[in-house]
Amino acid sequence: MNNQMREYYPFVGPFDPCPPIRVKTYVVPPNQFIPYQPMNLPQFPLHEALRRGTLWPALFSPYPSRCKGGYPQ
Amino acid sequence: MSTKMDNYYYEKLEELQQLDFGLVELTLYLDTHPNDLQALQQFNQLAQQRQQCAHQFEMRYGPLLQYGHSLSRYPWQWVDTPWPWQV
Repeated sequence: MNNQMREYYPFVGPFDPCPPIRVKTYVVPPNQFIPYQPMNLPQFPLHEALRRGTLWPALFSPYPSRCKGGYPQ
Repeated sequence: MSTKMDNYYYEKLEELQQLDFGLVELTLYLDTHPNDLQALQQFNQLAQQRQQCAHQFEMRYGPLLQYGHSLSRYPWQWVDTPWPWQV
């Protein structure tokens, strides 16, 4: 998993009604670690920025979809 | 007979989208970084480019905005297809 994806392991008990989900993942986007955006960060070209949803690679978070047909990012 | 738009129409719209997205990002950035000169220059450049791109588009396909923010040829083009949701 890339560095933004974190995992945790829910408790699985013998009386769980449904099949257990052993690993759950969540995303910690880079903007959590940048309190104040520094100046003159490198930028994506515009056409790519539109596709990726941000102008600055430092703030880009792929947030991949977990369903089968999830778009590759 | 349904009118079919040529590739130039979609290319121009995509370019407009790219410029607008860049402008939105830079606007939000400049709100918190008012004295970032480089970003401000980039913002002004993109704003000019956006005006040219919108002008080229409107000269060829009609108004993008309403209520006086765009010009229209004769006859009134605002009602022509494709509407935004049909594009």
